[in-house]
Amino acid sequence: MSVLDQTRVDRPSPRPRRLSWTVSDAAVMIDRGMRHTLRNGDALFMSVFLPIMLLLLFVYVFGGAIDVGTGYINYVVPGIILLCAGFGAATTAVGVTNDMTTGIIDRFRSLPIATWTVVLGHVVASMARNLFATGLVLGIAVAIGFRPTASPLDWVGAIAVVALFILMMTWVSVMFGLIAKTADAASGFTFFILFLPYVSSAFVPTDTMPAALHGFAEHQPITPIIETVRGLLMGTPIGNSWWIALLWCAAILLVVVPISSHLFRSRTRV
Amino acid sequence: MTTPTTTSTGGTAPVIDQKLLAALSSIDRPPRPNPAQASFTFGWRALLKIKHVPEQLFDVTMFPIMFTLMFTYLFGGALAGSPREYIQDLLPGILVLTVAMITMYTGLGINKDINKGVFDRFRSLPIWRPAVLVGALFGDVLRYTLASIIVIGLGLLIGFRPDGGVLGVVAAVALLLVFAFSLSWIWTALGFLMRTEESLMAVSMMILFPLTFISNVFVDPETMPGWLQAFVDVNPITHLSTASRGLMHGDVDMTQVGWVLVACVALVAVFGPLTMRLFRTKQ
Repeated sequence: MSVLDQTRVDRPSPRPRRLSWTVSDAAVMIDRGMRHTLRNGDALFMSVFLPIMLLLLFVYVFGGAIDVGTGYINYVVPGIILLCAGFGAATTAVGVTNDMTTGIIDRFRSLPIATWTVVLGHVVASMARNLFATGLVLGIAVAIGFRPTASPLDWVGAIAVVALFILMMTWVSVMFGLIAKTADAASGFTFFILFLPYVSSAFVPTDTMPAALHGFAEHQPITPIIETVRGLLMGTPIGNSWWIALLWCAAILLVVVPISSHLFRSRTRV
Repeated sequence: MTTPTTTSTGGTAPVIDQKLLAALSSIDRPPRPNPAQASFTFGWRALLKIKHVPEQLFDVTMFPIMFTLMFTYLFGGALAGSPREYIQDLLPGILVLTVAMITMYTGLGINKDINKGVFDRFRSLPIWRPAVLVGALFGDVLRYTLASIIVIGLGLLIGFRPDGGVLGVVAAVALLLVFAFSLSWIWTALGFLMRTEESLMAVSMMILFPLTFISNVFVDPETMPGWLQAFVDVNPITHLSTASRGLMHGDVDMTQVGWVLVACVALVAVFGPLTMRLFRTKQ
């Protein structure tokens, strides 16, 4: 018998979970998510160029015809910022669905890594992509005449609200991505979310809408978030919009994150 | 039919039915179809595609319905005081926008046929060569008509009242169909030039988006910045939208109709020969 035959090779014991290793796994998955973003032209187009086109369209084509009591650009930019976040988050659903259906999850499961970091990678990449896109849209808005009157503290508040909104939208998209069986279905699911900003105070004051639509627009989650961001950036009174906005975001996250976690576990179980 | 008979060697040899033999030898080759017949056959093929892939009607139905409802009810109050007032001005414009947008599917259909190799099969047929293109365009005219009926029907339901009556509406739709037929030649030419459906769709949208939105479809150009008005004033979609409004509301400016027809002639004069040239080289 050869030496090789006589040598008994024990299977290595499972790697003990250490925080540093989990952080390392997460960093790799976040890096993967970022690379996917940079290499996915459609996602970049959806999250960057489409909101910019909408901004230019509403400011220059419709702006002069819509009376909001102030410069229309100052009214519409907060809405476009949130729409931008919505477009960006929608592409996350497709990315998650692709991961779940192309077999890559099975490969990850064969590696000694924390599998949940796959979802974390998508979430963080989406946050980064959307914050970048939002910044870009904001920059172009300033270039074409947007003049916010916010103090540094107001800016911090506005950025925090936008970031919370992006986080909420991302998790909703992750949930839809885990539910959907195909990328097309994932796109279809997110269509409804993308339509919500139109039926809000994003583009026109809600009191110009018919009664039924006005009621819906006033009580849906996007309107208080837009009013909060608009108030913080333009120095207009916010009233109770800020806590309604935070309540909506927190409530949706409290529902969606556990559902997404459950769906991910059930779909990756052996 | 053939019936087997036993031969001296023990095998079986087929006996050819005399009727079959007569049928094969006595019937002349069918006459070559004339250009009109060939074109209508390909037009029928375009309609059969709709029957077998009904999803492609989504853009003809859902797109105009969504746009009409969204702009009427969400922005109508802010743009014109009330949705009821706005729909009178908006509907002819939405009709133009809808049909202009769906013209690009002509090019997409041809591009798909080329990539699937169907065009190579058509080359082997004894038909008038341009029938493939003309037929596809005929089929699309029916698609545009369907979209027009949906938009006008929805408009009437939500309060659109054309002062020009039935004749005015029919005249507006007829003018729109002529323009759509002419505009389709651009996408047909691009269908031959582009390698993939995705690239064709992207280029089509890059042309159609500014053409349709930077026009007087949604708002009066007077409210736009001066540099934008300059583009709006020469945009053929603006002339078509104004002419359609005039025809539907009974106060048509024939100059606008004239400009639309000039644009139609120009489009066909430029892109017709170009498409045929590309068609021949592709063949």
